[in-house]
Amino acid sequence: MYNFSNLLQTPQINILFKIGFLIANFIFIIFLIVVIREVRTMSTIVSNNNNTSTIKSAILLLFIVAVSLFLTALVIL
Amino acid sequence: MPDIFIAEPKAESIIPDQPYSLQKQEGSATPLPINQPLTLPKNTVGLFSSFCKAPDGVSFQTQEEGEKILLFLRRDFATNIKWILISIILLVIPVLLPFVGKFFGNPFPFLSLKFYLASIVFYYLVVATYLYINFMTWYYNVALITDRRVIDVDFSNLVYKDVATTKLSLVQDLSYAKVGVIRAFFDYGDILIQTAGSLDNFNFESAPDPEEVVHIIEELIGKQNV
Repeated sequence: MYNFSNLLQTPQINILFKIGFLIANFIFIIFLIVVIREVRTMSTIVSNNNNTSTIKSAILLLFIVAVSLFLTALVIL
Repeated sequence: MPDIFIAEPKAESIIPDQPYSLQKQEGSATPLPINQPLTLPKNTVGLFSSFCKAPDGVSFQTQEEGEKILLFLRRDFATNIKWILISIILLVIPVLLPFVGKFFGNPFPFLSLKFYLASIVFYYLVVATYLYINFMTWYYNVALITDRRVIDVDFSNLVYKDVATTKLSLVQDLSYAKVGVIRAFFDYGDILIQTAGSLDNFNFESAPDPEEVVHIIEELIGKQNV
């Protein structure tokens, strides 16, 4: 009987995991761009000057971390 | 001889000390005069506020010249408990993974430590985005009551946006429902604003202090009794 654990230890599967991770990260960045656009649209519809900067800063921070992670993963993995 | 009829005391205005009284509009459904100065004590809307009278620094896209926002509403903050609890559980899961790994072993022994670290950072990023989107959904679900109109902004799942507006003169009837122990405990409920003719009705879901909100709108449309 074939031992499937040998298949998991092949370098091809390892590379497949890394490529999968990078693709997931890239899709996530695109999703964050959509979120940023929606936040901008909504803050135009209803504007609250007291908190708008906090809301926008939070999503920009998430976006920067996501891009940094993608670039880091591209180099180290 | 005892009095058969005793006049009910007039309802207290939401802005008692201002020169402009809402009770001057009693019996009429006309919008408030535009040119009359309206000096309201301004209140700051916090990041987690769900009820604010005369909010300061709040505006909306279709706001007319001189239109004043009298009431700012969001769903009660207690409605966020569900996703906050889910987020806490999601945040704790990676902390528990090493203990689970001790019993069941590493399912992916061929992956490097760097990959695991990157995966954990990515996981927390996704959880943070989940938190952010849920907060945004609550934050931008707003109901505004101005001196001329009622505005209901619905926002959900990032892709659904609905901005409904009606003039105060078109508001026909108001009602609220506070059903359940949780709603009674946190004092929030649904407010239904019925409008004239074929116009859509407004439903402010999970609005905090619905009695107060209904009372304020009634004063604005000139009614004294429910």
